[in-house]
Amino acid sequence: MGKAPYHSILVYLDGSEGSMTAAMYAILLASSSNAKLHAVYVVNTKALGDLVRARIFIDQEKNEFLEDLKKDAGRHIRHTERLAASKDVEIITASLEGSPHKEILSYIKKNDIDLLVLGPVNAIRSRRDELTGENDRMLRTSPCPVVVVRDADDSIWQQFEEV
Amino acid sequence: MTFLEAIDKDLIKVPMTARNGKEAVEELVGLYAAKMGLQPSESEGILSSIMERESLGSTAMENGIAIPHAKISGLKNPAVMIGVSRIGIDFGGKQPSSIFFLVLAPSENPAEHIQILSSIAKVCSSDLFVRMLRSSKTKDDVYQLFFD
Repeated sequence: MGKAPYHSILVYLDGSEGSMTAAMYAILLASSSNAKLHAVYVVNTKALGDLVRARIFIDQEKNEFLEDLKKDAGRHIRHTERLAASKDVEIITASLEGSPHKEILSYIKKNDIDLLVLGPVNAIRSRRDELTGENDRMLRTSPCPVVVVRDADDSIWQQFEEV
Repeated sequence: MTFLEAIDKDLIKVPMTARNGKEAVEELVGLYAAKMGLQPSESEGILSSIMERESLGSTAMENGIAIPHAKISGLKNPAVMIGVSRIGIDFGGKQPSSIFFLVLAPSENPAEHIQILSSIAKVCSSDLFVRMLRSSKTKDDVYQLFFD
């Protein structure tokens, strides 16, 4: 079997350790398949707006969290860029705002992404649809194949160091 | 950590005994302090953060639910305390609050904090779910509602 048929890989960054492991895996995949690599963080402004409407947040708090989330996005994007550079992999990064799963689906379509790499999805502990996480929504609705990287997968960190 | 992962039977109180908003927060922070073995000064710090946030605007929603919350620096994992009051407590909303979700989250991970609050807001938008939660008799009833 030849190289995997991936030309444009996207990894979704959400600020979790799991998404950083996913970023490492995406870098290794891009390196081995000579694919273009994209990394996108989505500042969840949809949730911020919902929280203000529900009166859980006041405007001042929403603005503080928005700034915190933008800083978090910058931090994770810079870290991912450094990881990619360490493996001589070119990377296109973006920080978007909106509803994460919708923004990621739109990005996939606009940029002809043919593989989405995600951090871990939640274990099914409840049948309540409201509690479905963003990763789960992306996994269920992505128009392209999806790779889900397990949070506890230390072998990826090891592999990343060794390559 | 997700909202569901943060739910812990030891951090659920049914029925609450608090008679006012400050006591409600103290009662729920007390659950966390007991579980984590906090020093009184640490509990006091958390309490102050919550009350300071509430002083800017009540987190009581229109359906009798209140979601006091605070960012805590250096916290390892988020925590969610759930309380159900039989009598309803004045928490600054239009009607007394009978269901409380008290959320503590590390200030270092704002995305996780937003995700947890957002999940709570979503489940609380279901009138049926809120009715079932309000009529819970024990902490097991509450726990079961989320994991059925």
